Amino acid sequence: MVKTRTTSKKQPIVTVHDLTKRYDNKAVVDGISFDVMEGEVFGILGPNGAGKTTTLEMIESMRPIDGGSVTLCGIDVAARPDAIKAVIGVQPQTPAFEEKVTLKELIEFFASTYGDTVDVEAVLKDVQLTDKINSYPEQLSGGQRQRFSIATALVHGPKVFFLDEPTTGLDPQARRNLWDLIRHIQSKGVTVIMTTHYMDEAEQLCDRIAVMDNGKIVALDTPQNLIKALLSRGFKKPQHVEQANLEDVFIDLTGKELRE
Amino acid sequence: MSLKRKFLPVWTFAKLDVKRLFRDKVGIFFVFVFPLIFLIVFGFIFGRDDGSVSFNVALINQSQTEPAKQFEDQIRKSDVIKVKDASSEQDALQKMKRGELDSVIVLPGDFGATKEGQQTPSGQAIVRYDQNKAQAGTTLTSVLQEGVFKPINQRLAPSFDPFTAVARSTSTEGLRQFDFTFAGLLGFTLLTSGIFGPTSVFPRLKQRGVLRRYSTTTLKVWQYFTANVLSNGVVALMSLAVMFIVAQLMFGVTMRGDYLTLAAFATIGATLMFGIGLSIGGWAKNENQAAPLGQIVSFPMMFLSGIFFPTFLMPGWLQNITQFIPLTPVVDGIRLILTEGYTLVQLGPQLLIMGVWLVVVYLIAFKVFRWE
Repeated sequence: MVKTRTTSKKQPIVTVHDLTKRYDNKAVVDGISFDVMEGEVFGILGPNGAGKTTTLEMIESMRPIDGGSVTLCGIDVAARPDAIKAVIGVQPQTPAFEEKVTLKELIEFFASTYGDTVDVEAVLKDVQLTDKINSYPEQLSGGQRQRFSIATALVHGPKVFFLDEPTTGLDPQARRNLWDLIRHIQSKGVTVIMTTHYMDEAEQLCDRIAVMDNGKIVALDTPQNLIKALLSRGFKKPQHVEQANLEDVFIDLTGKELRE
Repeated sequence: MSLKRKFLPVWTFAKLDVKRLFRDKVGIFFVFVFPLIFLIVFGFIFGRDDGSVSFNVALINQSQTEPAKQFEDQIRKSDVIKVKDASSEQDALQKMKRGELDSVIVLPGDFGATKEGQQTPSGQAIVRYDQNKAQAGTTLTSVLQEGVFKPINQRLAPSFDPFTAVARSTSTEGLRQFDFTFAGLLGFTLLTSGIFGPTSVFPRLKQRGVLRRYSTTTLKVWQYFTANVLSNGVVALMSLAVMFIVAQLMFGVTMRGDYLTLAAFATIGATLMFGIGLSIGGWAKNENQAAPLGQIVSFPMMFLSGIFFPTFLMPGWLQNITQFIPLTPVVDGIRLILTEGYTLVQLGPQLLIMGVWLVVVYLIAFKVFRWE
C-alpha cells in the first residue's frame, strides 16, 4: 500500500521527552523521546515486556511518570491529567462493560462522563452496529465488541485516540474490518497511537513506527524506510518470496465479508 | 463545567444501574427474594399468637402481708404463669411494651391486710395488660380468680370474696415479638444490600477492567460514588417496600409512624451501609480481599445491633459499645418509627450517630478507592 500523505509538514501533537518508568529500580521505560504528528497513525511495536503498554499508559495520564515529560495538545500530562482525559480516547486491550446494559445506555453513559449528550444512532452507525442498539455487549461477537468499544471511546470527539493491540484474537475478516475503521477515524483528523504484535497490521495502518525493546526505542521511521534500511544493510530473506501467502489464500477462499 | 453537566453522568449512571438490576435474575433474588425468605421464616416463628397457655408475667408485690407472700409462692409454683424478673412496676411495664411480658400482676400495698371492721384479710390483685394482649389479660385474670383465689376465698369466708383479681389495660399499646423482629429485618436488608452488594460487584468490575475504562474518561470519583449511592438508595427503598407489603399481608405490622419519615430515615441508613460496602469494595483489588473483610465488618453488626437479639438482653458494658455501632441507630430508629411513631426530630440522637459515621465512612471510601 502506497502512502500518499506526507506527515513531515504536520505539527507534533504529542511530544515525549526522556520518558522513564521504573519498577523496583529497573527501568521498564528507559528515557525514550519521540514526537507524534497531528493526523498520523503512529505504531509502537515490540516484544512482550518491551514497555509498549506502560509508555501508552503514561501518555494517557493513566500511570504516574517517573522521569521526563509528555506534552499532548500542548498540555503537560503530569500536571493536568484531567485536561488530558478530555481530549483523548482510550481503547483497552480487552474491552469489558457492565453486564445487562444496552449499547444505547452505555453510549449515553460514556458521553455523559464528558458532560455531553449524543445521537446514539449516529455513533453506532459509524461502527455498523445500529441494529444492535438494544443488545448487551456480552451478546456481541469479538469484532463487534471491539468496534463498540471504539465507538464508546470516540463519543466526545477526542484529538488523540489510543489503541492497545486492537485486533488480538480477531479473525482475518474482523481484523480487516477494524483496519478500515481505524483508517476512517484517521480520515476524520484524529491522531491514532496504537500498539500491535502484527507486522502486517503495522505495515498496513501505520504512517510511522517506533520499535521498542527493553524499554528503549531501537528504531523509528516509516515502515517503508525501515524495510529499505534493512535491505541496504544487505539483508536477504533465506527463502524464495512467494507472490501470495496463506492469509491471501484464506481471504480469497472466504472473502472479506465480515462474519459475526 | 455547569452544574447540570457535572450531574449528567450521575443521573445517567444511576438510571442505568437500577435498570441493570431488574434485568439480572441473581440480583433480583438477592435484593427482593432473599430478605423475603428471612421475613417469612421469622414471621412464622414470631408472627402468630401462639396457642400455648403459659403467660410471661412480672409480679410486683408491694405488700408485706402473709397472704401476699403466700400468693407470690403459689404463683411462682404455677406452670401456667411464668414469673419474670422486673426491678419495678415501671420497668415491668416497659418490658411489656416491648413484648417481653404478657402482663404485669400488681399486689397493692394493702393486699392481704385486715381492713377495719372485717374479720378476714382481703385484697385485690391488679392484672395489667396491653391493648393488643387483651386476651392474655382477661384469661390471666380469670385464672387468678378461679384457680388461685377461689379456694382461698372459700376457706376464709364463704359469704363473700375477700381476694379478687381485676384486669386493667395500660393506655399504651404494646409490641408483639414480630414487630420487634420486623424492624430488625428491615435493618438486616439494608446491611446485606449495602455491604454484600458492593463488596462483590466492585472487585469483579475491577478484575474485568470495567472501572479502569471509566478512569480513562473525565468521570470523577464523586460522580461515580453519588450515582451508586442513588441507585442503591432507590433499590433499597423498593426492597423495603416489598418487605413491608408482604409482612403487612401475611402477618400484620404495627406502623404508627409516617411512611415518608420511614422512607427518609431508611434512605439515610441505606446510604450509611452502602458507604461501608463502598469503602471495602472500592479498596479491594479482588473478591478474595473484599469478601472476608465484608464479613468481618458485617457479622458483628448483625449480632450486636439488635437485629435479631434485643440489645437490652446484653450485658451493660456491651450495650454501651453496641449503641455506637453504625447499624444500631439505624435499626433503633426504624423500630421507633414503626412502633412509637417517632419523627425525624425525635430521632435526633440516632441521626447524630449516623451522621458521624456517614462522614467517617465516606472519607475512608474516597481515600481508599482504586479504579483498578
